[in-house]
Amino acid sequence: MTDENKKADDVTEQPAARSSQTPGPGLKRRDLLRNVGVGSVAAGLGSATYLQGLNLGRMRAMAQDTGPVKIGFIEDESGNLAVYGLQKLHAAQLAVKEINEGKTLKGDANIGAGMVGVLGKVAANPPVISKEGTALDVVNDGGAQDKADLVFDEDDDILIDSGEQGVLGREVELVSADGQSNNAVWQQLARRMIQQDQVDVLVAGFASAEREAIRPIVDQFSQLYFYTNQYEGGVADANTFCTGPVCEQQVIPTVQYMVENFGPNCYTIAADYNFGQLTAAWTRAFIPLVGGNIVGEEFIPLSVSEFSQVIARIQQTNPDWVMTLLVGQNHHNYYPQAAAAGLKYPMASTVNMAQGYEHKRFPPPSMANMHNAIQYQMEVPTGRNRAFVQRWMEMFPEDQYIGEMAQNTYFTIHLYAKAARLAHTTDQETVRRALELGWGIEAPEGSVFLEPGTHHCAHPIRLAYCDEQHNVSFLRDWPMIQAWWLQRLGVNLIRNPEYKQYVPDEDPYFSFV
Amino acid sequence: MGLTGGLVPPVIAATGFGGERAMDELAVIASVLYQFGTNAAFLLLCALGLIVILGMMNIINLAHGELMMLGAYTATIAYQRGMPFWLSVVCAFVAVGIFGAILERLVVRRFYGRELGALVVTWGISLILAQGTLVLLGPFMPAIPIPGGNFAVGQYSFSGYWIGMIVVCAALIAALWWLYNRTEIGLHARATMQNATMARALGVNTDRIYMLTFSLGAGLAGMSGALLAPTTSIQPFMGQQFVAPAFITVVVGGAANVIAGALSSSLLLSLVKTPVGFLVGAFWGTVVLLLAALIIIRLIPDGISAAIQRWLERGARVR
Repeated sequence: MTDENKKADDVTEQPAARSSQTPGPGLKRRDLLRNVGVGSVAAGLGSATYLQGLNLGRMRAMAQDTGPVKIGFIEDESGNLAVYGLQKLHAAQLAVKEINEGKTLKGDANIGAGMVGVLGKVAANPPVISKEGTALDVVNDGGAQDKADLVFDEDDDILIDSGEQGVLGREVELVSADGQSNNAVWQQLARRMIQQDQVDVLVAGFASAEREAIRPIVDQFSQLYFYTNQYEGGVADANTFCTGPVCEQQVIPTVQYMVENFGPNCYTIAADYNFGQLTAAWTRAFIPLVGGNIVGEEFIPLSVSEFSQVIARIQQTNPDWVMTLLVGQNHHNYYPQAAAAGLKYPMASTVNMAQGYEHKRFPPPSMANMHNAIQYQMEVPTGRNRAFVQRWMEMFPEDQYIGEMAQNTYFTIHLYAKAARLAHTTDQETVRRALELGWGIEAPEGSVFLEPGTHHCAHPIRLAYCDEQHNVSFLRDWPMIQAWWLQRLGVNLIRNPEYKQYVPDEDPYFSFV
Repeated sequence: MGLTGGLVPPVIAATGFGGERAMDELAVIASVLYQFGTNAAFLLLCALGLIVILGMMNIINLAHGELMMLGAYTATIAYQRGMPFWLSVVCAFVAVGIFGAILERLVVRRFYGRELGALVVTWGISLILAQGTLVLLGPFMPAIPIPGGNFAVGQYSFSGYWIGMIVVCAALIAALWWLYNRTEIGLHARATMQNATMARALGVNTDRIYMLTFSLGAGLAGMSGALLAPTTSIQPFMGQQFVAPAFITVVVGGAANVIAGALSSSLLLSLVKTPVGFLVGAFWGTVVLLLAALIIIRLIPDGISAAIQRWLERGARVR
């Protein structure tokens, strides 16, 4: 265990890590599963009927298909976004290798998109209930409920045997292509993958612009599509599953923590395009609810790389903390320049550090005092993550970092394999229905739940903090945050298929205060 | 507010003897001056190598950004081998200067007088340099920490390194002026620039002058890249961020007088950009910068330096 991990474990608000070290106390997720066992068997039976009744003819046709299961994969392996794309490619290669070696991640469709647990007072042992009568007398209360613990279990080992090599007896093949950070190339490749390679599933997309470039093509051919990026939220598309975290899962925890700990006055600097504008809108909408306010907001063109004036404007306003939503290599220069100018304001973000590992690329103290509510970055101090990082580094010893979206890509491909196994086919419509049962999957980040109605995932969120020496610790854990915004808007892709992206203007939440 | 008013030195002001308002005023003035200086220094550093090559040789060097990138890489590698930062910068100047000389001998000299050909070939060189760096050295280099600490005036704090850069810029301009106006090579270079055929007839080795000029321009680009390296992330495509400011500064400055052009245009553009950027924001600062460039080019198509030249000549005739 490294020093920084030790430090992180010492933080008292570290329930996930702590509970994994103390097997025994509290109601465990295993018990929850056992308790709902009857229900889940029924659900399992129901689901089998639900799936198999769907399209027997096509299933028979698929059963004759003995070729490999093709996973179409487009990421930017060259150009401006290669720093993210290469990580994601390696993640996909690792997942495919594991599937072909007969491994899978824990997790099932049989409890749907449930919740893992909550923080509460627990006794040393679970209570024992009398079998006599119906009064449910407590025979043994398990001792005094004298400690706070998370009613939540996190196994160290999440990679288990799948019982077969590949999927449905077929080898899994990664059909990957380089999008070259160029939207036109992306469209061309998406067409090629769908029409020519006839991939069984498409896993692709870094920038929102890339996703929006290929989504019409995905919809045209009803292609099963996974978008694995952290993004601004709002995509409601019956063919698309978004497995990364979105604004409501990241902005709100970050803003809440920053206002509580550093004060109400926030200065936002954001990249002047879709992502930066919408994430800043979320910050602006939410901050009054926790008693904060925006004292300055500036959208910076992607071409700006010299920040002395932005720094002077921030100093003039003298905020309590700064929200930095900066994207691209030009913008990353803000951090060393601000540090050199002696800017000491605490910083928050939803993108920096976890994706482009700026804390490793820039010399300290450029990223000092950065806070980011992430669902994953390489430093997550749990046993299962350490095992994952070790497996990764064995396969790719040259790699420097495993970022947020690389991990998403990894568990997403495992999730697809599990769904295809349950569906007994790679027929895209049937697999989509299998996914829409709602899934819980044990990823390196923790337990992830695919919410069926909105095709988005509930994630565990951790507040990552970067210190003066660029060491990372995790200051606060939220065991599970739903991607609730589309639910709030009434999106249900099972009953009402849609093919659009919602924007904040369509929700009165954004003019609430 | 104390009797000393606006004359309170920063140290005393910062410790609170001067009264709050005097300190605030002083801090704002210091901050605006600092912003003006850094904006001008940034533009000048971006443009320096380009204007030497464009002004002297009429070669539109689209590989300018990549030459800056090479300078940054050289400095970074030298710095990581334990060299002090200033020596790494000198290293970058020499190395990229030599590289420029080789480039001129092998490729660029075949395109003299064919401006469009030179434009395409330097663009090709830029692609090869950026992609080649990516293939050979990978997508990232560890950055150089910004040297030189910081100091505060009132609520504003300033980077010592940028102050140093402003001084370095002034020194570079002085050195260039000396080179062009006080040395024999400078005389030959100016002669070649004004009329190459006549200069050749008078015994100037114009071929050598072209090579030296291209080499000097490349070396200056490399040096600028090295100087800007600590403030930026070192990547194969980092040069692109400097190309637009460089070309705007050079075109606004014009080629009639290399040094006066670069200096006056970076000062003027900074003068326009600084107040708007400070009061309204970086976005409008950039907009106003581009707008000013547009208007200046419309009114004085051959650049500020040509206007200065005409004005000086008129003055000389009147006298």
